[in-house]
Amino acid sequence: MSATKTLQLPTRRYWLGPALTWEALKYYRYWFVAAIVLSALLPFLVSFSRDIDTSTWSYTANIGAIFTAIVAGGFLYSLAPSFIANSLTRRELVVSFGLFGLTWGLFCGALVFAGLVAEHAYYGAMGWTQSIEYSGELTVMASFGQAAEHGALYLLAYPLYFLGGAIIGAATYRWEGTGWLIAFPVAVVVIGLTDALSRTVPTGPDWLRFVTEYAQGWGRGAVLAAFAAALVIGAAIGYRLLIDIPVRAKKA
Amino acid sequence: MSFSVSLRDVTLKYRDSEALSNVNLELEAGKIHGLLGRNGAGKTTLLSLLAAFRKPTAGTVLVNGGPIWENAEIVSRVALIREGGDFDDSDTVKSSIETGEIRPSFDRDYALKLADKFELPLNKKVRSLSRGKRSVLAAICGLAARAELAMFDEVHLGMDAPTRDAFYKELLADYMDREHTIVLSTHLIDEVANYLEEVVILDRGSVLRHEPVEAFQRMGATLTGPADAVDAVAVGLEVLAEQRLGGTKSATVTVLDAPTRERAAASGIEIGPVGLQDLFIHLTSPERDGA
Repeated sequence: MSATKTLQLPTRRYWLGPALTWEALKYYRYWFVAAIVLSALLPFLVSFSRDIDTSTWSYTANIGAIFTAIVAGGFLYSLAPSFIANSLTRRELVVSFGLFGLTWGLFCGALVFAGLVAEHAYYGAMGWTQSIEYSGELTVMASFGQAAEHGALYLLAYPLYFLGGAIIGAATYRWEGTGWLIAFPVAVVVIGLTDALSRTVPTGPDWLRFVTEYAQGWGRGAVLAAFAAALVIGAAIGYRLLIDIPVRAKKA
Repeated sequence: MSFSVSLRDVTLKYRDSEALSNVNLELEAGKIHGLLGRNGAGKTTLLSLLAAFRKPTAGTVLVNGGPIWENAEIVSRVALIREGGDFDDSDTVKSSIETGEIRPSFDRDYALKLADKFELPLNKKVRSLSRGKRSVLAAICGLAARAELAMFDEVHLGMDAPTRDAFYKELLADYMDREHTIVLSTHLIDEVANYLEEVVILDRGSVLRHEPVEAFQRMGATLTGPADAVDAVAVGLEVLAEQRLGGTKSATVTVLDAPTRERAAASGIEIGPVGLQDLFIHLTSPERDGA
């Protein structure tokens, strides 16, 4: 990471976040390439044995959302003590990770959006049907517009997944041994809201469906309002967890 | 420029137990301070407060006259290097050094020069370093921080004797070259005693003594000679410790005024200095009940 304007004292809280996104993207670049190649190659290979009627990219997108949460939690858990020890204030840390989450979430959300639209063209050229599973049935994305509409949801979902992962990472560091338990309520809210918004089946462990499906019947406006509330409340929780987080001594 | 330190009525609790109790302490800028204390005395906790690693339960921590907590201008010029360092273990040595660049004053070239001098493998993961090499990495990051207040908490643990010696020399060279405040927390008291200008002794979460090192040196003497003569001279003095071998006795006493010194010399008693470590051992002895 360059120590030029990124880390100048008056601006480092703003530059560090996007710099983290850049470094993380560089670090995981081969993962991204692998995901894109596999998502294109897999339906092609499967098409020799059966008809293709589901969007491979939507599975990639859901795995990517979980990956985003892991990146957020993992980075926060491992970097927060190191950054504070290197003189970053908690406020700077909060702002940095907020911008990291926003830029990472938007980048990945945009990638998913572009992938779904590109997949629509790919499937159309191959004569396959692009659809997603919802309530036990396949919902066809019949046009570029429908594919784009579904893809646009991930621009909201990825920042929420990042926020959820960051809260889990911060709580796990803050309350050693018990902090990870916050993963349960966080997962229910994040996965439930995302599923309700995308109107697909819940992702994740099967038992979670009983918890998350309640939100499936909500109207889109209510879900968006709940989404916005979750982002605001989640950001407030993340701020509270980090603003006086201690740097623990390492175990010998 | 160098930073002074002021703790006012500072208490820090871990759940129900008090690690520091109502501590008041002033550390003068531009000096090398030794922070001594037995295990669990509160040294690391105190340093954690000075570097804003933790927030005190009560009281005020001021560095350079301003509160350290969430104060980017000040905290970016304060470095606390703890044993083993606060690194992301999955990082390489080079990345760990570069993370130091979050600090505006960090001297990357100096850090890399030291890494070369101490033979640190830059491409190795931190987790795969030996304890000694990890300590070296921590020490390098501390030195290259070019902080106005640099604190080293048992950072030499794991280093072999030549490496420790090289570290002390580098620390001293940097101190001579650039005015700043240093706090050394260590159990290897005799190794650093010659470098210290002031010494703070913590005991059970409180400041037991805080004096210039010369005051500690004047604080005691070792009287060695015939047991009867030593006993006669030691009457009325605070005896820190006694050792007897046959007819010879050695007594460590706290204060020795000029007449007593003359009387001891006349009785054939040898008068020796008390090492800082010996004094520390006696001062923090559990039998002294808080001294």
